Amino acid sequence: MYSQLFHIFRNTPLGRETFLQSLYFCNQIDTTPIVYIPEFIKFLMYFDNDVVQVDLDDSYLTDPATAEDHARVLLESANLKPNFFAPKNFTASTLPDIPTNFEFMCCPRSISDLSSKIGLGYIGPRVRRIVTSARFPVLITSAVYKPWTRLVVFFGGSANALNALKLGMRIARQTGMPLEIFTQAENRSREDYAAIIRDYYVEDELERLQQRWIFFDEGKFETNLYAVPHDALVILGAYGHGLIRNLVFGSKMENIQSTIPNNLLIVGPNYTAGI
Amino acid sequence: MRSPISWRPPATWHFFRSDDRLLLIVAGAIVGICSGVAAVALNQSLIAVLGYLRPYRAYWWAFVLPAVGAALSSLFLNKIMREGAGHGVPEVIYSVSRYGGLMRFRSSFSRLISSCLTIGSGGSAGPEAPIVMSGSAIGSNIARLLGLNDRQRVTLVGCGAAGAISAIFNAPIAGLIFAMEIILGEWAASNLIPIAIAAVAGTEISHLLQGKQIPFSHHHFNIGAVDIVACIGLAVFTALASIMLTRAIRTIHHQADGIQLPGWLKAAGGGCAVGLIGLYLPMVLGEGYHAIREMMEGRFAPGIGLVFLAVLAKIMATALTLGSGGSGGIFAPCLVIGSFAGLTYHRALAYLWPGVDWVQEGCFVLLGMAGLVSGILQAPLTGIFLIVEITGGYEVILPLIIVSAISTTICHYMEPASFYLKDLVEKGQLMRPGTDARVLADLEVHELLETDCITVHTDMLLRDFVDIVKQSRRNLFPVEDHTGQFQGMIYMDDIRPYLFDPLMYDTVLVGQLMNSHVKTVSPDDDVVEVLERMDAEGLFNMPVVANHRFRGMISKSTLLDQYRKELMVQTYHLNR
Repeated sequence: MYSQLFHIFRNTPLGRETFLQSLYFCNQIDTTPIVYIPEFIKFLMYFDNDVVQVDLDDSYLTDPATAEDHARVLLESANLKPNFFAPKNFTASTLPDIPTNFEFMCCPRSISDLSSKIGLGYIGPRVRRIVTSARFPVLITSAVYKPWTRLVVFFGGSANALNALKLGMRIARQTGMPLEIFTQAENRSREDYAAIIRDYYVEDELERLQQRWIFFDEGKFETNLYAVPHDALVILGAYGHGLIRNLVFGSKMENIQSTIPNNLLIVGPNYTAGI
Repeated sequence: MRSPISWRPPATWHFFRSDDRLLLIVAGAIVGICSGVAAVALNQSLIAVLGYLRPYRAYWWAFVLPAVGAALSSLFLNKIMREGAGHGVPEVIYSVSRYGGLMRFRSSFSRLISSCLTIGSGGSAGPEAPIVMSGSAIGSNIARLLGLNDRQRVTLVGCGAAGAISAIFNAPIAGLIFAMEIILGEWAASNLIPIAIAAVAGTEISHLLQGKQIPFSHHHFNIGAVDIVACIGLAVFTALASIMLTRAIRTIHHQADGIQLPGWLKAAGGGCAVGLIGLYLPMVLGEGYHAIREMMEGRFAPGIGLVFLAVLAKIMATALTLGSGGSGGIFAPCLVIGSFAGLTYHRALAYLWPGVDWVQEGCFVLLGMAGLVSGILQAPLTGIFLIVEITGGYEVILPLIIVSAISTTICHYMEPASFYLKDLVEKGQLMRPGTDARVLADLEVHELLETDCITVHTDMLLRDFVDIVKQSRRNLFPVEDHTGQFQGMIYMDDIRPYLFDPLMYDTVLVGQLMNSHVKTVSPDDDVVEVLERMDAEGLFNMPVVANHRFRGMISKSTLLDQYRKELMVQTYHLNR
């Protein structure tokens, strides 16, 4: 299947790391990178039921004269064909519209803050809204380029977790990498989780792919995250709760990304996964 | 952990699934109330700011006030709200036309504040476009909250625009017609009722919060046959003024775009120039309704020369304010320029034919406003009903129709697209629902892919290929090399002689038979471009290739099937 990953190129050393991570992802799952070198610090993404304005920080406009050359060199070194995206539609003269029909999108943890501020522990509100609204999974890269050699899916039994699991199975099949499932039990037994997988007819496929199920029925979630291999691409579902619910109950996605430095592939509530 | 109460958008409630009309009526009323409140808030803020600054206008340095206001407005929009500046209404039309009316939440209040700064400080602009944008954004965001689909969201955007115009002008019919004629560009029955409800709700909120006031008091006019004949000349005059205003705004906007200065500085420059004009002709500052009232009542003292100069000065002031980056709309300036034009024309008639018993000059002021609004918006119904409602002048409906119709026609002849639509038309971004451009824009190459082709390899013998032909239902075959890269196509018509010659079966390879100069399409190409290429090359179908790999075929027959389906979706509500 022909698929594309949308990447907003930042012509800085940190941006290079993010881009290398995108290129590695593309090579692993045979996806075409579509590179956008921004000319303006803001753009709009029109989703099915939301429009998200992304305000980039000024570092995205660093040295525009060399940006394309730098991106081209990295693409060619990864044996990928350069595909640069030029916006066709503009809501205002300095406000381009970016299509939302890609299969993946790569974001740093925060798309709107200066690189110096970006670290673990914070996913920017724009990235959250993209995750919540998009039909595609969002790749949130680690700060430094690090190839991954295995896949870990966080499975908590929800519909989104099931979507994440299906996506993980698809990538495992495409890449031949081992797939591991991480579950922190929440008032349910291992058998209950297995039953959910059985109910959705993914058990047989999973048995062919699965290497191990990392199952915790005790211990703190944050502590147990140590079991996630350092060289794994972590795939997880994000429910997209409202601000109040997240403030009151906390966000699992926020918890995970603030604890582990791995590359994350986040599946939002509008993503429909096929195996 | 599950939330104790889960929110399901009303659009998904069983009650509304079978028929959404009640949902749209209720939502339309809510949107109308909200946009009415926004309109009243802007109106009251403007009154407050104008009142606060009035004592300072007497000073010699008062010309910097519009500059400060425009600069603050530009800074607020670009630095704080981070919105791309614009006049407002084209953005709403663009959103309706391309994205099912999706608008940012920040648009529901940003223009209220920025236009208050621009107009309150003396900039020559009107509050209507900002309030239309706010109302439309309110409608769009309420639709998002309710989980409505594109068509329903567009209706609520229309409701927002109608509620805003109705509230600010106290004119529900004008609000309804403005939303249908300009914002939505279609007269669907399913839209009509919610928008009418929103218009009434907006007006009632305005009545409740501001009292039942119309912007201009009603006057009785005795219109004779000679006045009606004279209307034709007025229509021509207002049409010319409309075209001059459109071109002046666009020229200054393009000139300002080319200047390498920060946006706020350009806006300040424009504001400063307006302030200087205002030192000599104060009637061109702000929204200018006070001057209109005086003209309608026959109390406007300056002579014909000065009034004509005011027409030109107001056009220039409006162009400078809006073209340089100030925030505001052209409705109010159109009314002022139209009234000056009407007065100039009336006084010229009275000067040339003093013996004729002309109607009072207030009547021509009113007709001039209609001519200018109709001309610049190229929306005659909006012009007619707006003037009728804001002046209460139902007895002038006949000359109003004549002036509006002629002015619109002349303007359309000289400027094929209205002020609001011109940029969108030039960029090919005006796509009204159900039009060819919109249907094609909503189709994508990957939706049209035919993937039932059997791929063959370049090193395959003709004998093996013949076996594949027997199984295939298609008369074309994509050819790949051993790495899977697309090499060309085999069309049955091209190779028919070889198929019936068994001597060739073991000597000819597929790679020798294929057409390797095939025109291909990328999955990212626009369907419109693909169709144009097919027409230019006389092709019925084309292979879709990405990264040198064959993805499928695209054909005119599949395109027609999908086109019909898309058209039915887009025009479904028109047939209800």
